[in-house]
Amino acid sequence: MSLLFRSRQSGAQQVKISAVRRLLMFFVHHLQQAVASLGELVRYPLASLMTMAVLGLSLTLPATLYVVAKNTESVGAKWQSAAEITLFLRTDLSEQEVATFRKRIALSAEIEQVEWRDKAAGLAEFRESSGFGEALDALPDNPLPDVLIVTPVASKQNSASAQALLQRLLNEREVAEARLDLDWLERLQALLNLVRDGFLGLAVLLCTAVVLIVGNTIRLNINSKRDEIMVMKLVGATDAYIQRPFLYTGIWYGVVGGVIAWLATALLLWWIEGAVIEVTELYASQFYLAGLSFAEMLVVWGLAVGLGLVGSYLAVKKHVASIEPR
Amino acid sequence: MIKFEQVSKTYPGGFQALNQVNFHVEPGEMAFLTGHSGAGKSTLLRLIGMMERPTTGRVLINGHDLRKITRKQIPYVRRDIGMIFQDHRLLMDKTVLDNVALPLLIEGYSMQEARKRVQAALEKVGLGDKLRHYPMMLSGGEQQRVGIARAVVNKPPLLLADEPTGNLDPKLSMEIIKLFEDFNKVGVSVLIATHDLGLIARMRYRTLTLKEGRMINDGLQESEL
Repeated sequence: MSLLFRSRQSGAQQVKISAVRRLLMFFVHHLQQAVASLGELVRYPLASLMTMAVLGLSLTLPATLYVVAKNTESVGAKWQSAAEITLFLRTDLSEQEVATFRKRIALSAEIEQVEWRDKAAGLAEFRESSGFGEALDALPDNPLPDVLIVTPVASKQNSASAQALLQRLLNEREVAEARLDLDWLERLQALLNLVRDGFLGLAVLLCTAVVLIVGNTIRLNINSKRDEIMVMKLVGATDAYIQRPFLYTGIWYGVVGGVIAWLATALLLWWIEGAVIEVTELYASQFYLAGLSFAEMLVVWGLAVGLGLVGSYLAVKKHVASIEPR
Repeated sequence: MIKFEQVSKTYPGGFQALNQVNFHVEPGEMAFLTGHSGAGKSTLLRLIGMMERPTTGRVLINGHDLRKITRKQIPYVRRDIGMIFQDHRLLMDKTVLDNVALPLLIEGYSMQEARKRVQAALEKVGLGDKLRHYPMMLSGGEQQRVGIARAVVNKPPLLLADEPTGNLDPKLSMEIIKLFEDFNKVGVSVLIATHDLGLIARMRYRTLTLKEGRMINDGLQESEL
């Protein structure tokens, strides 16, 4: 391509490269420059590894937090499904009426099981645990209602169905009050949201730091090659041509940094797994700490490569253009 | 080939390097540009190589106004101009082959294709056997010739040289000028900036003389023939 000399393309002694060839060479050059950039990195292994480690370890923290949040959510989902409805019956019902009501609702197709806690047993328990024994004796009669604990069938255990069932039970004549104990679930949900938001904020901060660190490293690379860049510009290299090796350097930082993030995340999870199992054993629940899935590993890798590329792109955009031959 | 129309260049700070310069180098012509240090020789060449833009006036190459060339197009302009420098500007950590091949690789040649042309260009400057050497292993004259090989390897129609013989003894200088004559004979326009008046005196070429940014002589220096 000659701007000034139209005839240069066709002259007998002139430069001739076909369009197809040019396109092919474009990809070959990309490959060559990618490999050349890798070679350059291998020549200074310690410096390169440090930048890669910064990138990888910066991604490890959000990745680990993500895994923890993911596992907590799966646990939360399990607990949420075990919803129970507590029915407080009217205090003026006779024992006969309570027993009939209990049998009637136990027949419902939506209900798995009904547990009865009669008011006398409730009072005894309260007397024992509260320490108001003598005060309770002063009462003319038992103020506590009979309580039925209703467990819905498995398919109706999600929050919406349980709410619907709750409404239906509330309409029963015998029921004074009904509660679906979702408070602690809501608290857990709020905690999860906190963890997730914190994880997002932290991830954004760390990613920004990674971009700046990679950008600075590439800037130093560019400065150390100032003379070479100047010469290349003098003989007609475009900015894009000069930038390419630096962009590949950024990509390689990401490729290796991503792998470091995988390893470090796995290591960290292995480290905390013991503690997590100890906690869950106290709650007598079977628990398995799930690591990063294959798709999530790819996301981490893609993120690492993307950050490396963005960091190097910012650096080359600013600094390659500013180097002008003298 | 190169045409200056009322070109002035004032650097930030007020120093006027060129003042209302007019001249025209014809296609296929070889000319010298001379003057004392600071007379504006380098600035004039830098305007042609688009390392600077004129403050006022027009620079034309092959009839194309360089004012219309955008920043992005500058590399393509430079591919048409072979530039040679006093300090030859070679990459010291690359072999002679890599140095000379650089303009071709930038244009999209494979190393394989470039190699043949590099070999030819180096043969032309008498360094056909130095492909694998590093610039440090060569003498000053040889380094300058590697610089020339790099400038001509993609066969540009225009060659600019800034003090190409600055560091060389008279015999080597003559050899370098002979090289430029050879390129000129095959139709390349050549403009050589030098303050080596003795060298110019031995040649019968048009000589443009700059003094304090003005063109004071534009033609053969009859008195020195």
